[in-house]
Amino acid sequence: MQFFSVIRWIAWKDLLSEYRNRENISSMFFFAINVILIFSFSFSLDPETIKEIMPGIIWVAFGFTAIIGLGKSFLVEVNNDCMEYFQMLPIPKGAIYLGKFLGNFLFMLSVEIVLFPLFVLFFNLDILDQFLKLLLISTVATIGLSALGTLFSALTVQIRAREVMFPILLLPLSVPIFIGAVEATRGILSGDAFALYRHWIELLVVFDVIFVVVSFWIFEFILDY
Amino acid sequence: MLSTRFIGWLRRYEKWFGIAAVILMVIGLYTGLVTSSADYYQGEVVRIMYVHVPFAQTAMFAYSTLFFCSIWYLWKRDPIVDNAAHAAAGIALFFTAGGLLTGSIWGKPTWNTWWTWDPRLTSFAILFLTLVGYLMLRTFLDDKEKRATFGAILAIIGFIDLPIVHFSVEWWRSLHQPLSVSTRGVSIAADMALPLSLMSIGFTLLFTYMLMVRTQMLYLEYLLEAKQGRLMSEERL
Repeated sequence: MQFFSVIRWIAWKDLLSEYRNRENISSMFFFAINVILIFSFSFSLDPETIKEIMPGIIWVAFGFTAIIGLGKSFLVEVNNDCMEYFQMLPIPKGAIYLGKFLGNFLFMLSVEIVLFPLFVLFFNLDILDQFLKLLLISTVATIGLSALGTLFSALTVQIRAREVMFPILLLPLSVPIFIGAVEATRGILSGDAFALYRHWIELLVVFDVIFVVVSFWIFEFILDY
Repeated sequence: MLSTRFIGWLRRYEKWFGIAAVILMVIGLYTGLVTSSADYYQGEVVRIMYVHVPFAQTAMFAYSTLFFCSIWYLWKRDPIVDNAAHAAAGIALFFTAGGLLTGSIWGKPTWNTWWTWDPRLTSFAILFLTLVGYLMLRTFLDDKEKRATFGAILAIIGFIDLPIVHFSVEWWRSLHQPLSVSTRGVSIAADMALPLSLMSIGFTLLFTYMLMVRTQMLYLEYLLEAKQGRLMSEERL
């Protein structure tokens, strides 16, 4: 039971400190708005093109947001000398990973949920009736992204050139997430039947399960140092 | 520790691997470029296969070596295994680059394009980026044990990711356009199979030779660094 309470308290601590200073979420949010703005200048905005490029724009914006938000995830622990306390906790270290992962996942998802209405607003999309399906895709894709992001954040937090290394490690390995999320979103936006893009969601779920489990197991070795 | 016994073994036997690799590759190149017949569809162009396929196979083999060394390191914490992993990563990068380059040259006359988002090409490009990330991560870490551990973690995650990348790209492309090339069900003529297998074995031996030499070098560097550290701490005393 201690195991679960550690997960809960670490996630709770992250959410609480985020609620009090709002640094992470606001920087992620405004960064994403900037990305959307730049994209709207970069492409012609007639309705046919929009439908074609929109899934890409959405997921590039979310991916960049993840780089901004997740990369700093463990920085606050290092700055406050919390890593030593984590090492001393008498429980499987994976619990710490799961706690951080849960917090990051909730940050990312809340930013994404706030951003969807802005996509509707800026690009005249007609997706409100599909919102639940979009939420499902966002959830499974964000789980995978946060699972890898949290692990790589712990891996890169103590090195020089942290800001460069984090995306260099994260982006190539999260290719399946982007492919799956973009294709599933395209399916929704073009109004396909669910069965036509269900396999992408299954792919994302498989990815999530594998990387949450592997990261949970391997996190023990990161905290050893 | 495995290290001291192992390093002597490497030094004693490395040259045989090198010699065998050169012999096999010379025979393989001769039979491949001269005596084997040209392909019915592709003509003489097909001969790049005798370099390209071994490059790609050896890159996969090198990355598997990196993966197993990484698991072994996390398990036993033996520094020479980390040196072997580091060596394997550098060599894997070389063979991956060779595979991409020769594939690109082969792609131009056969598919009429230097690059296509074929599942195999794409997963090799991602393998290349992962290896670059691995080597960069190592250069940014100063502490020896941390470098080894974090590198091993990244190598394991990347190895698990690779098949998923491959399948996702395969699905992605198959929805848009048929695969550019598929070797499934294509049988290969006997006079082509001989040079190809000679080259494959030759490349594998070449990789083994490079791995043995490079591991020794990295291990000596490791010993030197440790010795320097000891001398410096004695000076301070």
